[in-house]
Amino acid sequence: MKKNKRFNRRDFIQSSIRASLVVSVGGIGGLALKNSTGRDWVWQIDPFECNQCGRCATECVRNPSAVKCVHAYDICGYCDLCGGYFIPGAVKLDTGAENQLCPTAALIRKFIEEPYFEYEIDEDLCIGCAKCVKGCTSFGNGSLHLQIRHDLCRNCNECSIARVCPSKAIKRVPSDTPYMIKGSFTKTTDT
Amino acid sequence: MKKSVIYIFLSLIVIIILIIVIGDFRSTRPDRMSGNPYKLNLDRIKSVDPNLVTYQETKNYRINARQAGGIAVAGEKIYLAADTFLQVFDYAGRQILKITLPEPAGCLEVSKQGDIIVGHRNAVALYSAAGEMKWRSEPLDERAVITALALKDGTIFAADAGNRAVHLYTAEGKYVDSFEGKTSIEGNHGFIVPSPYFDLGVNPDGELWVVNPGKLALENYTDEGNLRSYLENISPEIDGFSGCCNPAHIAIMADGSFLTSEKGVVRIKIYEPSGELSTVVALPDKFMEDGEAPDVAVDEEGIVYALDYDRNMIRIFEPK
Repeated sequence: MKKNKRFNRRDFIQSSIRASLVVSVGGIGGLALKNSTGRDWVWQIDPFECNQCGRCATECVRNPSAVKCVHAYDICGYCDLCGGYFIPGAVKLDTGAENQLCPTAALIRKFIEEPYFEYEIDEDLCIGCAKCVKGCTSFGNGSLHLQIRHDLCRNCNECSIARVCPSKAIKRVPSDTPYMIKGSFTKTTDT
Repeated sequence: MKKSVIYIFLSLIVIIILIIVIGDFRSTRPDRMSGNPYKLNLDRIKSVDPNLVTYQETKNYRINARQAGGIAVAGEKIYLAADTFLQVFDYAGRQILKITLPEPAGCLEVSKQGDIIVGHRNAVALYSAAGEMKWRSEPLDERAVITALALKDGTIFAADAGNRAVHLYTAEGKYVDSFEGKTSIEGNHGFIVPSPYFDLGVNPDGELWVVNPGKLALENYTDEGNLRSYLENISPEIDGFSGCCNPAHIAIMADGSFLTSEKGVVRIKIYEPSGELSTVVALPDKFMEDGEAPDVAVDEEGIVYALDYDRNMIRIFEPK
């Protein structure tokens, strides 16, 4: 009759170390695989939820904010009297500073053909205050809207704007679809 | 020894309370934050002398539909296009008729004989008072978005926001002609329609009035499409129109006055036939902020029927 070999303390420690090594290597490998194939998440503003409160300009850790106004040209009316460009009751429909809504003159008005005008955003000047977005949403088609620019965003673990956003419009989105541009991005409705 | 422990304990409690109070005071929770320096304040535009408002809401009916289209009032009946249905109600809100349409309708108009003309996206159809379809016009091109209808004698006028044109049909649904509101006058570029709000109506004198929304004007055309006159008052104040495209909807009253509904700062007003503001029916506080402009209809007695798209309701406003 064969006698069982006794499983002593040394064997136990050796087996434990081997098992730990296997688990560690496996874990690190798994994490690396997950990071290389898994989805990353970034912060973005749902333009249909945004209520143009102006906090994006003041609460972002970047100064000026990583939030910028973007323009969905396909839904713009190319209006002469643009609610996003002019203050309500503007004296004259021209580029005079006294008539402009944007506090930094980041919205540029360009003549296309009578009576249509194109509006372009100078992102270096835009502070993401949403004043033009409010004007466009209130009086126009809502083609001006805010987006977090990912070349500027630090993708903080806890977005300081999301923390105070009153309409909870800032959410995590997959990094392979990092923008929610009006026109191409359409709000999904619950059916 | 005992006393000193109590003092230390009380001091700790005071410090903790102070930390909580100061922390709360300095908190940046949305409801604790300081005023927004970038707020676009529209309160001044929205606030109006209450004496100007001579109407009050007396009734409203909830609509059992997902997407309301348009409203019309004729012969003491309310006509509603919603989803793929055409419904007729009496003034008490009882349903008289319900027809299933082949596709959703965005607008409708009722003839003196009780025939119902329905505007689909790119076609017009006529239904008898009993709900039987008599004809349907040939479809317009892909760009067409019919947003309003009007009737005059044997002619049907259809406002097409997609093509920025008014189409003319015979009473039998045959396409006759179109016009784009262009004239040889310098600076008159025809209809400017930045969004799908493009309304028209025929007044009791048989004059065709078309909204030129991009110009914030009401324009009077001959049946052939020649501009005869226009009313325009561009202003964010109560007596004018502002924004990209207003008035979004109109209806013409028995005395020729214009009932207007605006988007942006949503409000309903009545203008004299000569263009002066006559009265205010409903101010923005009656509607959802940044809501859609309600379609409007008016009966012989001047009672206003507003189709509130945001609340899915027919809202009735009567003179005070």
